Amino acid sequence: MTFAHPQAHKLIPAATVLAAALILSGCTSAKTSNDPSKDAGAPVTGGTLVYASGDAEPSCLDPHVGGNYPQALVASQYLETLYTKDADGKIIPWLAQDSTVTEDGLTRIVKIRDGIKFTDGTALDAEAVKVNFEHLLNPETASSTGYLALGKISSMTAVDATTLEIKLSSPDNSLLESFSMPWVAIESPTALKRSKAENCESPVGTGPFKVESWKKQDAVNLVRNADYALPVPEAGHAGPAYLDGITWRFIPEAATRFAALQAGQVQVIDNAQPDAIAAASKGASIKHLDAPRPGAANRIELNSSKAPFNDEKVREAFVHSVNVDAGIESLFFGTASRSYSPLSSVEPLAFSEKSLFSYDPAKAGELLDAAGWKDRDSAGYRIKDGNRLTLAFPVSTSQSIPAEQSLFEQMQATAKESGFEIKIKLLDISSWYGDLAKNDYNLVSAPYTKVGPSVLSILFHSKSTIPAPSGYFANLSQVKDPTLDELLDSAGTTKDPAQRKELYTEAQKMVLEGYYLLPLYDQQNHFLYSEKLKDVGTTTAVASPTFFDSWLAN
Amino acid sequence: MSIHNSMLPLTDPVLVSAGTRVPRPGATLARRLVRRLPTVIAAVVLLFFILAAIAPYLLAPDDPLAINPAAAFSPPGPGHLLGTDESGRDIYSRIIHGARPSLLIGAAATAAGLGLALVLGIAAGFGGRWLDFGIGRILEVLFALPGLLLALVFIALAGPGVGTTVLAVALTTAPGYARVIRGQIIALRASPMVEAATVLGRSRWRILTAHILPNALAPVAVLATLGLGQAVLWAASLSFLGLGSPPPAPEWGTMLSAGRTYLSLAWWMTFFPGLAIVILAGSATVLSRSMKAASSQ
Repeated sequence: MTFAHPQAHKLIPAATVLAAALILSGCTSAKTSNDPSKDAGAPVTGGTLVYASGDAEPSCLDPHVGGNYPQALVASQYLETLYTKDADGKIIPWLAQDSTVTEDGLTRIVKIRDGIKFTDGTALDAEAVKVNFEHLLNPETASSTGYLALGKISSMTAVDATTLEIKLSSPDNSLLESFSMPWVAIESPTALKRSKAENCESPVGTGPFKVESWKKQDAVNLVRNADYALPVPEAGHAGPAYLDGITWRFIPEAATRFAALQAGQVQVIDNAQPDAIAAASKGASIKHLDAPRPGAANRIELNSSKAPFNDEKVREAFVHSVNVDAGIESLFFGTASRSYSPLSSVEPLAFSEKSLFSYDPAKAGELLDAAGWKDRDSAGYRIKDGNRLTLAFPVSTSQSIPAEQSLFEQMQATAKESGFEIKIKLLDISSWYGDLAKNDYNLVSAPYTKVGPSVLSILFHSKSTIPAPSGYFANLSQVKDPTLDELLDSAGTTKDPAQRKELYTEAQKMVLEGYYLLPLYDQQNHFLYSEKLKDVGTTTAVASPTFFDSWLAN
Repeated sequence: MSIHNSMLPLTDPVLVSAGTRVPRPGATLARRLVRRLPTVIAAVVLLFFILAAIAPYLLAPDDPLAINPAAAFSPPGPGHLLGTDESGRDIYSRIIHGARPSLLIGAAATAAGLGLALVLGIAAGFGGRWLDFGIGRILEVLFALPGLLLALVFIALAGPGVGTTVLAVALTTAPGYARVIRGQIIALRASPMVEAATVLGRSRWRILTAHILPNALAPVAVLATLGLGQAVLWAASLSFLGLGSPPPAPEWGTMLSAGRTYLSLAWWMTFFPGLAIVILAGSATVLSRSMKAASSQ
């Protein structure tokens, strides 16, 4: 099955092909810094790429529904967005031509590119974009990521075929960043009219590949979109993708996934483990793509809504009681560097404060004494009023790689010396969501990817403690601070970039100094791929790779 | 199932050789020792693990949970006899401390499985034709399901944990025991001893407790020893799948599971816990066969 050729697909009338062929080449664009631009040799057309994902298989291939990273990874191959990031990290128009905002910041006019068609033949126009946004905002879609990103849209009008007027409830200076994410990608309005189940099965977009079939628990089969043409010609090669298709498989077991890559059964794996990356770097047959995700850094959030973390002193004590650096060093083999910011290192506005996060058991002890956790029980854990200083820590085994789980175990061991009892609970993703919904956690590590610093509003605004239609709420530290809310609101609405930076810096300071989170490292996004696969490295705005320019050497 | 095979006397080499050999006087002691060597080794190994379970700190003074990131992935050597894991924890200490949960789960599960099997076996063997028929069919249904699947279903319903693991393993192994016990009882019921007791007008209850059970229970002791090894294997399989003790508890199956991530980098993380499981299960099997041979002589 590795190199099975997909069925030939229907040719759309020649006129369309010609028109489309005039607008040329590659998908989304950000080249990661460590990847040289072009591989040697003339690109070869043909062959099916087998991609092995370590993520849980999505329950829906339409990233509007729910909206997590595994969906974004696969959807980046068949859906495109209004905006994207270029190689320098700048937000540039993609399916959109251009966009302007009124002086009061409450009306945004988006110009849509002309002449682009979805793979079902439907034309892309302003009305189509409007239908997509309505789909995202409709509670029945159960979107969480896209829903939050578009939260300020109050109404939309398709003025003409290429002009969409968007009215906002308050100014939103991160709207274009939001538009660049696969979770608000544009799908065919004709396809969206189908039932939710049908659309989950085979979403229809404008991308270089299209969904041919989805065999659950096995693979998603993507085939080349023969009529594809790049919205931005200079972003890649002319014509359709080189690859005939992509077989998107799910191999949750890390060692098996890496072994499959070594054996040549698959050509790309994601969620590459640190030890595998270290092993691969010794040879030449496997290459490494490191694409840190934008948005939030990987961090542990401290649930401030209930004891014992409703006491800031205990939060501060916890942060000083765990030795994170030693673990990162030994477990990640130099593939991850420590973060001291709520934001990813690829976010230009990230603010770091290293001094707050030292490993200092003595200080932790003092703080706990001061907070009333003076006595210890026979097991060495601190107690107060007969209650043990216990922290429930549900860990999603599909979102935390083994090295991260080991890091948590090491934190458990070092925190014990200060008298914290951490109870790690390894859970499948749905039980994990269940524990969060029941507020049955004190510590939690949840990735959150979003383009731009507005992710701070999603993670730390009191509004984000209210569950989205999918049932998920993103403010897991449950900080509810009116001052912080105001800071985040002004930061998100100001028209002045300098002020935006200043306000977001202030907000980051507040959450760091309030010890609502313990930053660990950038969201790890490592890919290993066979050296036979050339020209890899183009990623979307959320750092998911796209394979429009990639080709398989014979 | 191996239980059934090992209950057939003719297939047992220990028994066959014991019955046919005519030892020469001078070589008797040496021969006996050599013949008994596997038994002696198995007994020593089992005693070692029992000691490890009772007093782990006697054999491994180091804390099995103590981390040392700087010494992570150390290969076996003078400092760490069996190497260290990804957090720099000593594998030897973790194996010794892991003997307790493994043996405890093994013993408890065997006891529970045998208890359940005794009730079913006696009811089937002594309770009349219809009860025998009913229980027989139920056992057949249970046999039809793969043991691990049965255990997984049970854990899925009751939630993971040590208690559930014990019950799951008990439930999985009970049908095998129940059949053997029923067979023993039926065979004994037809024996001259029971016939004589019936002729003498003894009550059914007395025949069961005084004549049948004591004789039926001897093979059960053999089965229990064999079952211990098997239960340890089952328990390790379940915790390997993440359904046993939560991390960072030193449990052999959990250690295997953690080690498999680093198999190409640190083979000792997987090899030694695996070896411990094999040695313990193997010893229990050898010992049970020797016991059976002894009881049949």
